[in-house]
Amino acid sequence: MSAAAGTRALRLPRLLSAGPSALIGGGIVLVVVLAAVFAPWIAPHDPLAVSIENSLLPPGGTFLLGTDQAGRDVLSRLIWGARISLMVSLLAVVIGMTCGIVTGLVAACYRQTWIEQVIMRCMEAVASIPLLIWAVALLGILGVEPIVVRGLSFGNEWKLLVLIGLLYTPTLTRIMHDVAVGEIAADYVKARRIQGVSTLSILLGDVLPNCMGPLVVQGTLLVAIGVVVEASVSFIGLGVQPPTPSWGSMLADSRNYIFSSEWWLPVFPGLAISLTVIGFNLLGDGLRDLLDPRHASRGIAG
Amino acid sequence: MLRLLAERILFSVATLLGVGLCLFVLTRSMAGTPALTVLGMEATPQQIQQFNHDHGLDRPVIAQYWHWLRGVADGLNFGHSLLSGRPVGPMLRADMPITFEIVGIAFVFAVLVALPLGILSASFQGRIIDHVARIVAVVGVSVPGFWIGLMLIRFPAVQFGWFPPGGFTPWSGGVWPHLQSIVLPCFALGIYYVAILSRMTRSGLVEVGSQDYIRTARAMGLGRGLILVHALKNALVPVVSVGAMSFGYMFGWALIIEYLFNIPGMSNALLTAIDNRDYTVVQAIVFIFTLVFIVSNLLADMLNAYLNPKLAHGQ
Repeated sequence: MSAAAGTRALRLPRLLSAGPSALIGGGIVLVVVLAAVFAPWIAPHDPLAVSIENSLLPPGGTFLLGTDQAGRDVLSRLIWGARISLMVSLLAVVIGMTCGIVTGLVAACYRQTWIEQVIMRCMEAVASIPLLIWAVALLGILGVEPIVVRGLSFGNEWKLLVLIGLLYTPTLTRIMHDVAVGEIAADYVKARRIQGVSTLSILLGDVLPNCMGPLVVQGTLLVAIGVVVEASVSFIGLGVQPPTPSWGSMLADSRNYIFSSEWWLPVFPGLAISLTVIGFNLLGDGLRDLLDPRHASRGIAG
Repeated sequence: MLRLLAERILFSVATLLGVGLCLFVLTRSMAGTPALTVLGMEATPQQIQQFNHDHGLDRPVIAQYWHWLRGVADGLNFGHSLLSGRPVGPMLRADMPITFEIVGIAFVFAVLVALPLGILSASFQGRIIDHVARIVAVVGVSVPGFWIGLMLIRFPAVQFGWFPPGGFTPWSGGVWPHLQSIVLPCFALGIYYVAILSRMTRSGLVEVGSQDYIRTARAMGLGRGLILVHALKNALVPVVSVGAMSFGYMFGWALIIEYLFNIPGMSNALLTAIDNRDYTVVQAIVFIFTLVFIVSNLLADMLNAYLNPKLAHGQ
């Protein structure tokens, strides 16, 4: 991979040539991201406004996708739900990515020393932690109350995203390490060294940008997993706490109406989750052909 | 080969002990003062001290961990429930088979559907059946199983009454009612892995199909079926190892599926223990899940090395 291939590949013409799946995925992701960013302006109603006289209205009219048991607008809650869902899954990937890049680079740098051995073995050990079960158990023991640090209140979703991020680290470390080992051995690194450039600036300025392709691909796929994990943990009541609208907790609420005719309560949040995840998965698969031709990133499992 | 085996097993055991220690320390430090939770806020310092002494909580963590591990090794004794004082192992003995049965059936279902689907998709590459199979795979990978389960409860179960809308009928309640009660959970749990494994089977076969030895076989006029057998042997290497790993992952998702369908398995035990702040039970359950996960990863590695000797020697 030539220098700066990672960024060049992201230019529009090449993205357009990535095939329909990347385009469809990118389109879906764009819509969800826009909904999340502009939630306060595009949501037709207040997602938290309770009005009992409007409770359980079917879709149509002023409430396009109907209302829930407390008379809150389902569409507005879905739009706000995109916010929390993307916040958790994106920040988790950012955390995992940061840790993974640092540990992976260090390990690749100290190749065939005990440092590499220790880092990679530790990562292997962390990788043998079943994410969902630990997340549920630790959040359960820790309690779902917000944590207050210096007057700032961090809701339960922060604990969840830190936990997910840490458990993403091994995958990203491994990719970073594997790709960086190849790059560090390349001739251009030797050339830069002869030019007298410091190791740190070679690593961050030359090696890291060339390794970004597989990392971006894996990151995209991990966002998809994060969305499902957030929804699942919120579904069993240990994730995002009410009244904050979250797709998972909306599904949890809908369980109370499973025997009555309010079909829109379980259907729409599930569609929102599914579409978002399909979007990130398609985008990740499409980007893989573009940014990661040697397939250093792994398929989705988990 | 033997050395690799010994090395992997040793590392897995070390990992289990290390990760188990983390779990032990984390649950203990997060749980606050279990004595207060159990005895109530009005407990006197003497009572708390007595409680901590009775449960060995006043000893160093490492000593507690060692004691606990010896209990596990000595007949799967996971300590005593803080709440009821009963030993944890027997408490879980009724829940564990239920979870294992559901995961096991879902796994078999996933493999039995994924392989033919992947083979069909690869043999009709580029044709309609292939496109359909690929779309099914992307959707199956993306749509969360617990929502599929919710939809299955809402429509086939509640609306049409084909299945019970949740709950669990044990074998003793009759073979048919038992099967009826686990069909939907197993489907909801397995469908994700149908998608994953069929995708891998397809891409494995497509990749192998373009290799020289398959072309040679084709040129020699070997029949389609015989070529497929040859191709499958190599194409299935990654599928087998991912399949083994999937088995471990499935226990995680089974947690959500069991919760959704009100099945009295390990997930129910875990969530009840969390509600009761009974962290010795939480610890035991998470440890068991981690053990299963590590063993299935180890199995995946072993299968991989066995099926792909080049890889084993390369390392």
